[in-house]
Amino acid sequence: MADTYSRGKRVFVERPLELVLLTVGVALVADLLSKLANGTVTVLTLSIFLKDGIVIGLVIGLAGVGLSMTYSILNFANFAHGEYLTAGAFAGWVATYLVAGAGTVSAGDLFLLGVSGGADAGTVGASVFSTPLAVLVGFAVAVAFGVALALALDRLVYRPMRGQGAISLLIASIGVALALRYLLAFVFGTSRTGITGGTLPTYTVPVIDLIFNAHELALVAAALAMMGGVHLLLRRTKLGKAMRAMADNPDLARVTGIPTERVVRATWIIGGGLTGAAGYLVVLETGTISFDYGWTLLLLIFAAVILGGIGSIYGAMLGGLTIGIASTLSLIWIPSDFTHAAAFAVMILILLTRPSGLFSGVTTA
Amino acid sequence: MSADGTRSVGRGRSEPRSERDGLLVIEGLDAGYGDLQILDGVDLDVGDGEYVAVIGPNGAGKSTVLKSIFGLTTYMGGRITFGGEDIGGLPPEAVIRRGISYVPQTENVFPSLSVRENLEMGTYILDSVPEDALRAVFDRFPILQERQSQRAGTLSGGQQQMLAMGRALMLDPKLLLLDEPSAGLAPDLVDEMFDRVDEINRAGTAVLIVEQNAKEALRRCDRGYVLVQGQNRFADAGEALLADDEVRREFLGG
Repeated sequence: MADTYSRGKRVFVERPLELVLLTVGVALVADLLSKLANGTVTVLTLSIFLKDGIVIGLVIGLAGVGLSMTYSILNFANFAHGEYLTAGAFAGWVATYLVAGAGTVSAGDLFLLGVSGGADAGTVGASVFSTPLAVLVGFAVAVAFGVALALALDRLVYRPMRGQGAISLLIASIGVALALRYLLAFVFGTSRTGITGGTLPTYTVPVIDLIFNAHELALVAAALAMMGGVHLLLRRTKLGKAMRAMADNPDLARVTGIPTERVVRATWIIGGGLTGAAGYLVVLETGTISFDYGWTLLLLIFAAVILGGIGSIYGAMLGGLTIGIASTLSLIWIPSDFTHAAAFAVMILILLTRPSGLFSGVTTA
Repeated sequence: MSADGTRSVGRGRSEPRSERDGLLVIEGLDAGYGDLQILDGVDLDVGDGEYVAVIGPNGAGKSTVLKSIFGLTTYMGGRITFGGEDIGGLPPEAVIRRGISYVPQTENVFPSLSVRENLEMGTYILDSVPEDALRAVFDRFPILQERQSQRAGTLSGGQQQMLAMGRALMLDPKLLLLDEPSAGLAPDLVDEMFDRVDEINRAGTAVLIVEQNAKEALRRCDRGYVLVQGQNRFADAGEALLADDEVRREFLGG
C-alpha cells in the first residue's frame, strides 16, 4: 500500500509531463466519445477525417522516406527536398497533359499546364479513370525527373561540398530550393492551377457510407507499394543492406570494401524517385498544383521525419501517418486554419517525451 | 634495417629484408592526416603467414601504420608494397581486393545490421556471399551462428570483436590487420582473444597487430616492432624484445 503510494508519487514528481499528456489524451478521447454519443460528430465524419489523414499521411511519409534516406546516409538535411517534390510533379503532369490532350489542344498550351492558353483542366480532363495511360506515363516521368534532378544537383552542388559539414550543405540546399522554386514560377507562373478533370468513379464502404474516390485509392495503393518496395530493398538486397551499413558507420563501410560513392548515388536515385512520385500523387489527389506547394509541404515532411526519429525510414512512414491523422482529426475541435498547428503540437509533445523520435534506437538507413 | 637508426636488439635474428619473403613491405613511410605528419620514415615488413606485432606508447603512430596501409591517411612519401605490387595510396576497396582485411579498434561492427548481415558486408566486393566462407567463420566463432539474426549492436563487447574479426575473415585474406583487439575487453576475454588470433595465424593468415597489451602481444608474435613518435625504435623477434632490458624498462613497465 505504502509502496504503491510512493511509486505513484515518484511518477508524479519525475514525469509530470507524461501525466499531463495522458490526462489530456484521455480527456480528448472521452470528449470524442461523448460527441459521438450525442451526435455532434457522426461516425461518418470521423471516418472521413481518418481517411483524409491516412491519405495525406501516406504522401508525407513517402516524401519523408526520401528525405530521411538522404539524411541518414549523407548526413545533411536537404531543404531543397520540397522543390524536388514540386519539380517532379510539374514534369509528370506536363507529360500527362501532353499525352492526354494530344490532338485536341496545342502542345505549347499543354506544356504550360493551362497557365495560359486553352489547356484548362476541364478540356484535358486528365484522371486515372478517363486517361489512365497519360497518368501512368506522367507518374513514370515524375519518378524519372525526380531521379535526374537529384543526381544532377548532387553532381553540381552537393558532391563538391561533401565533407564540408552539415551546416554549409544545409545552407547550400536552401539556395538550391530558392533557385528551383523561382525557376518553376518563371515557367509556370505563381497561381494555383486546377489539374485533374472529369468525373471520378467512387467506391462506398458499406455500413458507415464512407466514400473513396479513384484518385485516393490510386494514391494509397501506389504509396503502400512503394513503401513495401523500399522495405524489401533495405532488408533483402545487397545494396539496401549496404545503405543501412553506411547509415550506421560510413568509415567502417569504406574499410569493409563497400563502394561508398556508388551507394550515395543509389541513395539519391531512390530518394529522388520516391520524392518525384510523391509530388505527382499529391497533385493527383488534391487536383491542383502551384509552384510553392512542395515548400509548404516540406514543413510537414520534416515534422514527420523528426517525429519518426530522423534517419529512420520506418520512422518517416509512421511519422507521416501520425502527422496526417493528427492534422485531420484536430478538425473535430479546432477550425481548419489551425490543422498545421495541431500537427506540430503533436510533434512537439511526442518529442518532449521521446526526444529522439518514435523509432529512436532502431534507426534503419 | 638500420638506415634511419633503428636499433636491432637481437643477435642474428634480423636478416636483411631482401632475404625474407616479404608479403607486406613498408619502406620509409611518411604519412599523417592533412598537414599533420605522424609517421616519419617507418620501415616494417610482414612475411607470408607471419605474425607481427607493433607496440609503443600512446600517440606513437601505431594505428596510423595500419590506416596508411588501407589508404585512410594522407600519404606523404615512402613505399608500401604487397606481394611485390605498390599499394600506397590505393583506396580501401582496392586494398581489400588484393587480400588485406582490416579490423578497426572501435565501432567495428554495424550495430543496426544483423550478425549475418555484418558478415555479408565483408564480401561486398564479391558478386555473391560464398557459403563456405560463412560456414568457416561460423565454425571458428560458433556464438556468431547462434546469434546470426540478432542485431550486432546487442552483442557484448567480446562478441562484437569476434564479429568484426569474422567479417574481416570472410574474404580469406592473406593478411589481417588488427587494431588493438584487446582494448576494452574484460581481462579474462583478452586471453581468449589472443588465442583466437593464434588460431587464425596458424591457419595460414599473416597477422599485423597493433597492441597496448605489449607483453602479451610480444609473447605471442613472431616478430615485434617498437614505434616511438612515428619512428622505428626497435625491431626483433618477440621473445628477444621481451628479454631486452631497455625495452622492458621503457615499454613493458619493468
